[in-house]
Amino acid sequence: MRPRRTQGRCPAPPIALALVLDLALALAPRLAAEEGDVLVRAGTVETVEAGPLSPGAVLISGGKIAEVAASIDPPEGATVIDLGADATLIPGLVDADLPGGVSGPAVEITREITPRFSPLPAVDWSSRAFTEALAGGSTAGGIIPSSDNVVPGLAAVVKTAGPPGEPRVLDPDAGLVITVCSDPASRNRSRTRPDSIYVRQPTNRMGVVGLLRESFARAARGVDPDPDVTVPSAADPYEPLREAMAGGRPVLAISRTDYDILTVLRLAGEFGYAPTILGGQEAYKVADALASARVPVVLGALRVDGPYGPERTELAWNVAGVLHEAGVPVALSGGDLLEQARFAARFGLPREAALRAITIEPSRVLGVDGRVGSIAAGKDADLVALDGDPLEFTTAVRWVMVDGTIRFPRPDPSQPQED
Amino acid sequence: MATNHHMTRLAAIIALALVPPADASAQDQLAIKGGRIIPVVGEPIEGGVILVRDGTIQAVGTDLDIPIEARVIDAAGKVVLPGFVEPHSPEPLVQANEVNPNVPFVTVVDAIDPNATYFEEARRNGVTTAHAIPGNSTMLGGKSAVVKTSGTFAEDMVLRRDAALKISLRPSGSSSRMSHLARLRRELDETLRYMRSLDEKKAEAAKAEADEERDEGAEDDDEEGANAPQEEDEGQGDEGDAPDPSAEDTEPDAQREALVRLLKGELPAFLYCEQAMDVPQALRLIDEYKLDAVLILGRDCYKAVDLVAGRDEPVILDPDLVFWETDPRTGEDERVVLPRIYREAGVPITFQTSGVSSFSASSLGPSYLWYQAATAVKYGMPPEEALEALTLRPAKMLGIDAFVGSIEEGKDADLVILTGEPLKLGTWVDTTIVDGQVVYRRDEDSRLKELLRPTEDDAGEG
Repeated sequence: MRPRRTQGRCPAPPIALALVLDLALALAPRLAAEEGDVLVRAGTVETVEAGPLSPGAVLISGGKIAEVAASIDPPEGATVIDLGADATLIPGLVDADLPGGVSGPAVEITREITPRFSPLPAVDWSSRAFTEALAGGSTAGGIIPSSDNVVPGLAAVVKTAGPPGEPRVLDPDAGLVITVCSDPASRNRSRTRPDSIYVRQPTNRMGVVGLLRESFARAARGVDPDPDVTVPSAADPYEPLREAMAGGRPVLAISRTDYDILTVLRLAGEFGYAPTILGGQEAYKVADALASARVPVVLGALRVDGPYGPERTELAWNVAGVLHEAGVPVALSGGDLLEQARFAARFGLPREAALRAITIEPSRVLGVDGRVGSIAAGKDADLVALDGDPLEFTTAVRWVMVDGTIRFPRPDPSQPQED
Repeated sequence: MATNHHMTRLAAIIALALVPPADASAQDQLAIKGGRIIPVVGEPIEGGVILVRDGTIQAVGTDLDIPIEARVIDAAGKVVLPGFVEPHSPEPLVQANEVNPNVPFVTVVDAIDPNATYFEEARRNGVTTAHAIPGNSTMLGGKSAVVKTSGTFAEDMVLRRDAALKISLRPSGSSSRMSHLARLRRELDETLRYMRSLDEKKAEAAKAEADEERDEGAEDDDEEGANAPQEEDEGQGDEGDAPDPSAEDTEPDAQREALVRLLKGELPAFLYCEQAMDVPQALRLIDEYKLDAVLILGRDCYKAVDLVAGRDEPVILDPDLVFWETDPRTGEDERVVLPRIYREAGVPITFQTSGVSSFSASSLGPSYLWYQAATAVKYGMPPEEALEALTLRPAKMLGIDAFVGSIEEGKDADLVILTGEPLKLGTWVDTTIVDGQVVYRRDEDSRLKELLRPTEDDAGEG
């Protein structure tokens, strides 16, 4: 875990702070509030890990949650935001596969095995994807290299708002991403122009799995320079795979169909890595196998219309509910998390599990549950204020706070700001 | 106003009135009792009863005697609403758009597929009436029809044939907006000329007839009426023979009939505006050609909301009610919430589910009409208004509010029984009734069961 940020590295921008003050002044008795603590009161506080508090209060100090209780007396000088009896405060949502944050393709397509590659340099911090995610209540998300490679690289976890670059990185290395589906084979050809990079393995699933096995086997043998995978740095490119086999690094496997998921489990048995399934649209068919292997599933964006995706995955609406019932930890991903949780709940995922699936479960999968994913003392002050019940279609997001600063809605630029 | 559908029903009622009461009529009586009835017009009724006979609502109230022969649906603990009305949908059609952009003479009745997935989804989601209409890619797309969402043959489903003429301001094919609009105006102007020529022909024919009569009259005078009866016969014979050719000349031909009716104000226009810049053009067309028009507004049209507000008419919104735009100059991202913008401008809105952008992040909800209403409520629309926007408002817009859109005596028995309060997350359509017939029951919906609880057969390989 990274050390707690200092105020110097991550200052609360004055504009956002002014908004907090405006809200507070409008809703609460005037306090001599300067820069400092904020107390948020709401009809309900969904802590996620410690159940709901009705009413509830959260004290925020230095961008972190200082205290969570049914009632807290505001400390001297603290700003008080009283959301009202109907409102609900929930933790900032975590989208384990946040779409669209990367500028350009989210993978290096000239090679199949790039285990040390990180998507972070390709992240466009002002991408609309982050703004959209933030407005929908997501405060953190996984940046997953895309599935065009057999081993596309490392996953990173970032906040959806804040100063660009390093201050927004929660974890630069949240796991090794591997692809166990037909995607890497989709562009490769056995014959085309001879100078094309796509005259290469794999051209089908056998090739995908073959390359994976080869890579793990090579990693197990140790340093073995290979011109195809060498990166400019001197480090062994297979290091992340070796760490995964040693159990020190989670593996995120992009996999959708039941038979691909079974392959992930089989390879895990062979090489000893601890997988999480990303995608998992047909995971309901192998729910028991996943449950007994204790493999969590991060479901891709739910669809209701028909078979979809590159593999025309069979349509089922209640995948999350079936997995949960079988005892598989489930996270929802792919944008619009509140809406996804609502539909998942409508289709059969119990209420509590639906809230966990967009907060603590994805945080655990990404290994950032010490920082985000629930409302608990010591965690980042990433909070979402809602008009009402989180699991109703008619409930709107009132504001979203990241590291103690309200980032959505943005302050109106036509209004005068304090500097 | 009377449509085929209702004429048939009327005939049936008359037939029943004429013949002695038979057992057959007993099967056509239905009573829904014990639920909370939200009639849309008037206050909700707790524990009310709806009596239905021959597909029509006979009575709504609390102290009603249920006829012993009526089939009773127990709605205790449930909520009864009028069936929802979707005011614009090309989805019932086999092919939404003709290749030729200028086909005002076609009718969707010839293209409606009663087995379209749309109808199944409609019944599952409480939609009992839909306005089947050509898509947005044809300039003069053809004549629409209002249909019920249940039936075996398109003809049986029609509530109103020739409900409107679809006009799209989106350029078809590779043509520009300039040529598209010029072509549209040319068609309308030519139709006006055609109508004048018809009028002239009619006037000439009338004059000729009058002349003939005068001549005949003169002859009568000359012959002192001796052969009057014979001449009368001759006169009738003339009338019988003559009108055939002259009527063909003075009545619009089949190709132009729809446009003539449009310009006479007999056929409403459903005008699609893709971009905000199309809105003033649409309003100019409506004004110049005196069109009775409903606007279907693409999502960009919110920029012209003030123009629309001046009309004081409800509009049909794009299914993407909430979306993001990036300012082309500053690069700032901004969320656009259509229901809020239209509400603040005072423009009443209705919803549609067709044409959901595949790029939108939330491809989940917009395919459900009730979800659109819930989204509007989320951004400030009062829940009562949202229910009206699903029922009576689109019914009025389509001119069919005498038949559907609310639970009132004399209206069609198109009803939705919900498992709980409308627009709530856990609420499902329990039963859908069209014309007094149960057309959907959740406990018999095997496809829904399969989607919610995939069977073991499917999971066999695991």
